[in-house]
Amino acid sequence: MIGMIIKLDSAQFDQTARAYGADLYRYAFWLCRDRFVAEELVQETFARAWKNWDSLEDLAAVKPWLITILRHEHARLYERKRLDYTDDDPQDLDLTSAARAGEHLELEQLVEALPETYREPLVLQVLGGYECREIAEMLGTTEGAVMTRLTRARQALRAHLETSDRARRST
Amino acid sequence: MTEGNPRGMNCLEFRREKLADPRHLSREALAHMNECAACRGFAIEVNENEERIAIALDVPVPEGLADRIILRRKTGVRGGFSPRLWALAATVVLTFAFGFQQWKDAGSQEYARLAIEHVMHEPESFTTTRSADPELFRRVMHTFGGEMQASLGKVRYMKLCPVPEGTGWHIVFETEDGKLATLILIPAKRMKSDSEQAQVGGWNAVARPGGQGFYAVITDSPETLGKVDEMVRSRVRWRG
Repeated sequence: MIGMIIKLDSAQFDQTARAYGADLYRYAFWLCRDRFVAEELVQETFARAWKNWDSLEDLAAVKPWLITILRHEHARLYERKRLDYTDDDPQDLDLTSAARAGEHLELEQLVEALPETYREPLVLQVLGGYECREIAEMLGTTEGAVMTRLTRARQALRAHLETSDRARRST
Repeated sequence: MTEGNPRGMNCLEFRREKLADPRHLSREALAHMNECAACRGFAIEVNENEERIAIALDVPVPEGLADRIILRRKTGVRGGFSPRLWALAATVVLTFAFGFQQWKDAGSQEYARLAIEHVMHEPESFTTTRSADPELFRRVMHTFGGEMQASLGKVRYMKLCPVPEGTGWHIVFETEDGKLATLILIPAKRMKSDSEQAQVGGWNAVARPGGQGFYAVITDSPETLGKVDEMVRSRVRWRG
């Protein structure tokens, strides 16, 4: 009986790795912006998840659980003392320093230029499809704070996309 | 833009909600969008941008990742981060923290060497096709200060990378001989010498002043470097 449970658990784990490994990797990449570190972070996340697999009560909640683990692994790796957010003003969203390449600036670089506090919820929402409330739970902040950061992030990207599109049309 | 329904949502509230979560609108927001043509247009634009953002975020995932995760479960879990990961993390921190200054302080032969190191740090540039648009390449060259007199070959990869003065272009192209070559365009102070050469880890590079700063050509053999360097010099006219 015990053997059967272990087999079922490991099968669930393997299915989870196949289902969410890629999503976790992309999230990790946008946290650390390095593909090698991103893969190691994902590996460590799943290793830790497997160690604590018995504590997972609801398989439906496995993805947010994995994201939380990955976030902590990332913080641990860089020995960050806090996971909290700062409240930057919209004016602080300075993407212009990255805009030296003018109209050729790529969207990927604009996203990279976003402060982490804006980039992280954006990645979770665009790639993960999460609602603001769910992101707030994962990041340990309020729904209102997440909404504000997502609005500011999109406003900043939108302004640069408009500039970029105008420049392309004029050439 | 409408003044909004006093009992419902106004345009400002709608736009805030749309920007915060384009895919999950409340019933009130949907009702407002139905009545307001300007906000419908705004929503369409946000949706289009959202698709572009999603494409930008969708970075390629290493092949066999899930298999390696499962293999690690089967073969035993290693405790804590590996020394390799600590080293990698340190590299990333150093790249972001000191990379700029390193380029700025580059002395003789440093430009060519640093260009090689940049290429070595981005091996996917040889296996990934990205922004391979000849017209975009021509525009990038023009903006940087290089006028193309003839094609350099087939562009396979173009990416903006962080450099001291902002961003520089990392370009990989296939020559008419079928060889891969990398061209890096760096906006920076003018080089003091006419050229610098370096050899690191089997890679060969030459850096020359041009356009808004300098450019570097990197190849995997001295023979190819000589040919590509000569080709770039004869087919690109640099302003400035």
